[in-house]
Amino acid sequence: MTPRRITRLTLAFGALGATLGVAACGGGTLGSTSEEASGPVKIGLLVPQSGVYKSLGDDMKAGFEVYLKEKGNKLGGKEVQVVTADEGETADTGKAAADKLVKQDKATVVTGVVSSATMNGVVDLFETSQIPLVGSNASPTTLTGKKFVWRTSYVNDEPGKALGAYVAKHETGPVYLLAADYQAGKDETGGFKESFAPAGGKVADEVYTPFPATKNFQPFLANLQKSGAKSVFTFYAGGAAVDFVKQYDQFGLAGKVQHYSAGFLTEGGVLTAQGTSAVGTRTAMNYSADLDNPVNQKFVAAYQSATGKLPTTYAMASYDAARVIDMAIQKAGKTDSKSINAAIGELGEIESPRGTWSFNDNGTPKQMWYLREVKEQDGKLANVVIEELGELG
Amino acid sequence: MLDWFDTNLVSMVDGVAYGLLLFTLAVGLSLVFGMMDVLNLAHGSLYLVGAFAAYALSDGSWLGFALAIGVGMVAGIFGGGLLAAMTAPLSGRGHLDQAALTLGVSLIAAEVMVMIFGAEVVPTQPPDALAGSASILGHRYPVYRLVFIAVAGLLAVGVYVAFERSSLGALVRATVADRDMVRAMGVDTRLVLFGVFAFGAALAALGGALGAPILAPGPGVDENVLVLSLVVIVIGGLGSVKGALLGALVIGQVQTLGVALLPTYAPFLLFGAMLVVLAWRPQGLASLVTRS
Repeated sequence: MTPRRITRLTLAFGALGATLGVAACGGGTLGSTSEEASGPVKIGLLVPQSGVYKSLGDDMKAGFEVYLKEKGNKLGGKEVQVVTADEGETADTGKAAADKLVKQDKATVVTGVVSSATMNGVVDLFETSQIPLVGSNASPTTLTGKKFVWRTSYVNDEPGKALGAYVAKHETGPVYLLAADYQAGKDETGGFKESFAPAGGKVADEVYTPFPATKNFQPFLANLQKSGAKSVFTFYAGGAAVDFVKQYDQFGLAGKVQHYSAGFLTEGGVLTAQGTSAVGTRTAMNYSADLDNPVNQKFVAAYQSATGKLPTTYAMASYDAARVIDMAIQKAGKTDSKSINAAIGELGEIESPRGTWSFNDNGTPKQMWYLREVKEQDGKLANVVIEELGELG
Repeated sequence: MLDWFDTNLVSMVDGVAYGLLLFTLAVGLSLVFGMMDVLNLAHGSLYLVGAFAAYALSDGSWLGFALAIGVGMVAGIFGGGLLAAMTAPLSGRGHLDQAALTLGVSLIAAEVMVMIFGAEVVPTQPPDALAGSASILGHRYPVYRLVFIAVAGLLAVGVYVAFERSSLGALVRATVADRDMVRAMGVDTRLVLFGVFAFGAALAALGGALGAPILAPGPGVDENVLVLSLVVIVIGGLGSVKGALLGALVIGQVQTLGVALLPTYAPFLLFGAMLVVLAWRPQGLASLVTRS
């Protein structure tokens, strides 16, 4: 290879970087024009409609719409207009979409937000413009003490926290920790250790896999096998969850090393993709479509007739976000952002498909957690609730 | 020593499987870039096309599998020809223009595939007969990956013979060395260049169809394999089949055995290996085995 060719390769990487960079900035602000505030109440729905989180965004959009349909497109008795903006994949695209909802569309309330990176990027926007953000997914542990940012989901470290004590009590020998190497992964293992160690649990090893670069988990699984641990706690979501669970089975760990994880490992579309490889996996989550209560039965039926799928925790949290806005407008009796925000803080108990919950001082739910196991029922895979893990929040 | 070998055997075998998968991807990119001087950033999309064909058509039967390979390769050849035609007018305008065009194509292709197949990583079944796991000296290992090693290994040998030992390969190399002379012999060199492009594209799509059960298709996978292929080319050396094979096998081991031995450094191993090779042999590893 001549020096000219080496320059060519350098150029190639440069060109790739430059063009990818440009592409990343382009997402997300296809817009409608703004309208005067006198019309219907404007609700901004900030969810990914493109990129790797699209399926989560689709679930959240569907959950929100199911609630709206139930109430005849009225929240708190007021006609609403939903303006959707594409959160995209990155904090940049998410921030641009949030800016558009707040500044251009003049939304009264905004809901949604899938990625923690976006959440961190938009918090100040909502705090300074004093518009309530009823987040329905992203909830990093670092987000505390905010006045206008609420979450109907759960704090990132709670699935781990819910499982830690249970695993310490029910498994013998040290437990191996394996998680994707980014904030959410570390939050999750942190939460796990927080309740695991006091209950007498011992950690065999703690390993973080590069994210999102890791597609082949074989070397990590080989090390897990080598350690001799009888159980493992993991954190993976989306495509990585599919790869991980399939390879966990292919390399002979399924059925030998008990797999515990945060609920989104087997939530929604990824479970279909994992197939029977996922059977036996135990996860902690604040919701399961098979929960036996009237609110849930009604929700599941409505959601299924709208989408043909079982609802996920993402859809449920978004459904609840609509309910929170509904109740808050009702309570406030007014439709300005500040009154609605004040009313959210005074809602008290909220009836939900997950059971009854309420906002704590941090603006996140105080709610019940469930241990679920993936089982095959009538030829279909489902997360089946085994027992309650106790309340958190 | 024997113990070490026993615990890391699976990682090494898997490194070969992974390396051969990278080879089917990188060799097309390397030949097109090295011989035709076209930087094709849509190369990863060709992998996705093949992999999605496998997802859509594989139903566990041999027929579905064969159909997936056939459809994937035809789509690959067609895609390669299309890309060759699109980049031909840009040949005098430098790599940035080619990069912009082909990256644009890959972004459009990625969105189209999301529209058709959804935004999830989708499962792809190998034929039922190959779906299980086998035991290698007491370690569980997926049968499909073993078969993949054999098939992709044969493919690598075939590509090597075709390019370095056959008269058709000689014609291609002659076209690169002295286009005017080949043209004077009465050969339409445009056809040769189109052929190389289509061949490289078909290989990437074939890699996708065969590799889908190992590296499942989904959004973002196209970029992922593109970057890996570029690293393989840098390590192996541009425009040579031997280089692509060597680079791919090295990266395969780095990504499996290397990661198993040094899990803490996993994020740095890939580019660390590239850095070492660039510092030590900037021409690529192929220069070690090629007489100059």
